[in-house]
Amino acid sequence: MRRVPWLALGSVLAGLGIWVSARLAPLAGLLPGCAFKQFTGYACATCGLTRCILALGRGDWRGAFHWHPVAAGLALLLPVAVLWDLRRAWRGEAYPGLPESRWARLAAWALVLGTWALQAVRGI
Amino acid sequence: MLIPFLDSWRALTHPREAFQDLPPPLGVALGRMVAVWIPLALGNALLTCWRALQGYEALRKGGLPLDLLATAGVDPTVVEDLLKTLPPALPLTRLLPWLLVLVPLGVLGTWLHHAVWDHTGLWLLGGLKAKRGFRTSLLAEAEALRHAALGTLVGLLSFLPLLGGLLSIPLLLLDGYLWLFRGFALAARHDCEPWRGLAATVIHAMLLGCCALGLLTCLVILLRVGA
Repeated sequence: MRRVPWLALGSVLAGLGIWVSARLAPLAGLLPGCAFKQFTGYACATCGLTRCILALGRGDWRGAFHWHPVAAGLALLLPVAVLWDLRRAWRGEAYPGLPESRWARLAAWALVLGTWALQAVRGI
Repeated sequence: MLIPFLDSWRALTHPREAFQDLPPPLGVALGRMVAVWIPLALGNALLTCWRALQGYEALRKGGLPLDLLATAGVDPTVVEDLLKTLPPALPLTRLLPWLLVLVPLGVLGTWLHHAVWDHTGLWLLGGLKAKRGFRTSLLAEAEALRHAALGTLVGLLSFLPLLGGLLSIPLLLLDGYLWLFRGFALAARHDCEPWRGLAATVIHAMLLGCCALGLLTCLVILLRVGA
């Protein structure tokens, strides 16, 4: 039995959100900025994400990679994830669980902390 | 449930024992959450909009402390002229149909959002060893958020004049506790130690919240103290 490709649907919605956000770019100046950075003076792991999304909405991939390389990289992988999900959904295969390997978890931690360090060091 | 919210009160005051019974089916848990939370969220959204519209009207009618602006070097006449050009506020009745659509979507979106991030947080902490999948996280979140809706009810006190301002800090602390409370449900349903569930909600806040939660906190403080 085929299932709903939630990941693909979510990706389409995310793409739509990025496109809409580019139309709302003039309002971005009204955002007060990162509270964590204001308090500590250091960027947080999500600093640069809004500017990255706005750049993606304009089709400016170079800018997107500058503001948040991890988010831009994930956006680049989104079509692959959509195809993977559609294929599995068509075959009726359930979503696999998250890997139990300790190394996979450590890699995810490294990605999160590495992103944070990268953004903090660059002063994004 | 003879007394409304009695079971939620018990769950919130004894979170470790709250999720020891056999879990209900996901549909039942979701139905209960929606039945309790959507009416409260709708009431909260209506009051928030009503207050925001009142604040806007007060602004249009010159509600700004012009003397204070003058001392800050701003020409009060320029500000007054600018305020006069603002269009009148929409009547609340025109916003109501939008709220009837957006509030249920917001409730369901919040539930899904919490489930995705808390599940990821629990995985990062090695709390998914019992091999219960994402569906279990969805169930745990639905159960926890049904009880946490009591916080939305208490949060309505913030709309009371004077008392609302005084309660802003205690209500923020309550919001913090209700955020962590989901961790007890996650831990119980995934059969892991409570600290992993609690820490998963903290990681969720850290991953997403550095920026977004800071902004949200500022907005909540402004809404509760303002107008």
